[in-house]
Amino acid sequence: MNLSRRDLLRGASALGLAAAMPGIAGAADAPKPGGVLTVHLPTEQRILNPALRASTGVYVITSKIIEALVDLGPDGRPVGVLASEWEATPDGRNVTFKLREGVKWHDGKPFTAADVQFTAMELWKKQLNYGTQLQQHLEAVDTPDPQTAIFRYARPMPLNLLLRALCDLGYIVPRHLYEGTNVLENPANTAPIGTGPFRFVQYERGQFVIAEKNPNYWRQNLPYLDRIVWRFITDKSAATAAVETGQVQISPYNGLSLADLDRLKSDPRFDVSTRGTEANAFNNTLEFNTRRKELSDVRVRRAIAHAIDVDFFIENFLYGQGKPATGPIPSSSTAFYPGGEPPYRFDRKKAEALLDEAGYKRGAGGQRFSLRLVPINNGEDVPLLATFIQQSLGQIGIKVEIVQLDIAGALTTVYRDWNFDIATGWHQYRGDPAVSTTVWYRSGSPKGAPWTNQWGWQSDAVDRLIDDAAAELDPVRRKGLYADWVRAVNDELPVWMVTERQFYDVTSKTVQNDHNIPRWGSSDWRDTWLKS
Amino acid sequence: MDFLRRYLASPPAVIGLVLLALVLAMAASADLLFPRDPLGLAGRPLQWPLANPRFWLGTDNMGRDIAAQVFHGARISLLIALVSTALAIVIGVVVGAVAGFYGGIVDDVLMRVTEAFQILPNFLLLLVLVAVFGSTLTTVTIAIGIVSWPASARLTRAEFLSLRNRDFVAACRGLGMGDARLIFAEILPNALPPVIVYAGVIMAVAILLESALAFLSLSDPNVPSWGNLIGAGRSVLRTQWYVSAIPGVAILVTVLAVSLVGQGLNDALNPRLRRR
Repeated sequence: MNLSRRDLLRGASALGLAAAMPGIAGAADAPKPGGVLTVHLPTEQRILNPALRASTGVYVITSKIIEALVDLGPDGRPVGVLASEWEATPDGRNVTFKLREGVKWHDGKPFTAADVQFTAMELWKKQLNYGTQLQQHLEAVDTPDPQTAIFRYARPMPLNLLLRALCDLGYIVPRHLYEGTNVLENPANTAPIGTGPFRFVQYERGQFVIAEKNPNYWRQNLPYLDRIVWRFITDKSAATAAVETGQVQISPYNGLSLADLDRLKSDPRFDVSTRGTEANAFNNTLEFNTRRKELSDVRVRRAIAHAIDVDFFIENFLYGQGKPATGPIPSSSTAFYPGGEPPYRFDRKKAEALLDEAGYKRGAGGQRFSLRLVPINNGEDVPLLATFIQQSLGQIGIKVEIVQLDIAGALTTVYRDWNFDIATGWHQYRGDPAVSTTVWYRSGSPKGAPWTNQWGWQSDAVDRLIDDAAAELDPVRRKGLYADWVRAVNDELPVWMVTERQFYDVTSKTVQNDHNIPRWGSSDWRDTWLKS
Repeated sequence: MDFLRRYLASPPAVIGLVLLALVLAMAASADLLFPRDPLGLAGRPLQWPLANPRFWLGTDNMGRDIAAQVFHGARISLLIALVSTALAIVIGVVVGAVAGFYGGIVDDVLMRVTEAFQILPNFLLLLVLVAVFGSTLTTVTIAIGIVSWPASARLTRAEFLSLRNRDFVAACRGLGMGDARLIFAEILPNALPPVIVYAGVIMAVAILLESALAFLSLSDPNVPSWGNLIGAGRSVLRTQWYVSAIPGVAILVTVLAVSLVGQGLNDALNPRLRRR
């Protein structure tokens, strides 16, 4: 078992990933070193430290500069990056990582287990969003020698959960720059030093970030690109123009408008695809505030789900980019997806019957009651869905008033002030349900924590399933527990996952070896090259 | 009669009046021609104008009938324009009249307040007000009124400064008239014509301000306004430009009509232009 994995890793690093990627268009051409790759970013997070902020907007830049212990391989399984091998004790409480030798930080200092220990204890466990949750039972990281880090947990930690989570939540920053400082205000947060294939050069606020080739990268003869430039273009029309004129070669994660994505699909110069974003599935959501009397009745929540024609919405509003969700675990998550059908098919008659049964008959003017809807504007499709919900619920006698707020205001209103009846936004799935999905349903999140259960809804059975699954070491039983959990929350419906979607990247066809792993936009791009 | 004849003698003023009547007719007939909820789902989104006989101006990217929204939107735009202009004029006239009539320290205080409003770009102030008080139809209308009054205050004050020492005012004082009556019954009617003309400008700007707010998705999404439609069409501008262009034309026509009428009133009321 252990031997075969080691062999596989050795094989992959010896050949270089370029050779390990057969079947990609243009694989027949030999990679040509050199060139500048320009990337569009629609938003700016003002932080370049992935060990402090878990967000694709941060990974797109920093994953080229700072490396994680592991990343996903082409088949979606974790492969070693800074860790070369790993092993868990049978009780699941100790996980040992062997670290790669001869790796140096960009400032020349050697990378050792002390860096892993410091980053895990001081950043992941204390500061990183989702990391604090994941590592809450991490007691210590032992470093018997510079090439070994032993993670000790108070409760069993499933190895497959830890490895999948560490692809996003496992970036290592240098201890010698952070130790003894206020990590939140460390200058390295905006001028990062890492071990990756590219070195940070310059960050101009609101304009661009530049990184250049790291000549001392630990993988021989990589990377191919000379430079990567990330340009912040917030206006979507301007971004489309930049893509079409060739000023930028890649616009990742739905950076362009849905209409332009649809239009560029038929443009032979570009590849518009969800390939390489499989690990970044997301859902359009509908959250119910069950403190509201009408919504505390599960029949009303189900009636609302039955009243919305999701197929029509996806086909006509989203240009077919998505499908109805079957629950909070997306079908792209093969390790956990329990299968099944969308739980609430469009059926207006049934919706009306459920509302009548719950005692909310149509009153004067055919109206049953009214609801305040707060859209959390993660993307341009959120106001579209808000309008569609308003239109659909109007048909069954529920008047919906949309409350328009900027994203910060909407997050506060929903997650801190609980001042909403229904809300709609995005749920992002990150490889394992325990990373950022079960918190949407588990009770006990502090008031104000965004994207957690703030619905006034609690179920002991669901809480128990979530806790048991997070500590279950056997992968088959773990998958079974999550299947039970999906059934339970689909039935109770505190949050309805309306659609299941994937991000679309627009890539110029000059870019080679692109999108060859399931989280490519957030990977290191060491083997990416440009065809002239 | 004389006034009406002078007004009708100017072709642009007549065109403005006709256009304005057209917009009013649209607003009045909206319920008759489009009885369904203009924000309801009408059909497949993004049908081109004239492609489907049911939607002769097409549908927007949320599947709503554009023609219905343009007609119902005329009501909202006119409502916002009229109410916020009335508000701006009332505040402006009261402040300007009191400042101009009393002068001295009252004038200084009121004019410094007016200037405090004037030095802020009015759209930025509007954004702040909407961000703080939320974006319902009522708050948006009041907020537009609040950012629009300073100019009419200065105009009224200037008129009052020149009128307050005239003989007829002195005569009224001699008759023992109180300040309130002097201001509102005697001086104000003489000071009003330029302010009324200026109301046309405020009205046109109010329509544009609401549209700009809606373009930034900060206006009330629960009413069918022209700006909301333009804002919604922004994301499909490259392919389905008509979603933004049609309400854009409606705004253009309305603002043009209000400006032409305002200009016509100015020409008709201005005694110096009488003999031209």
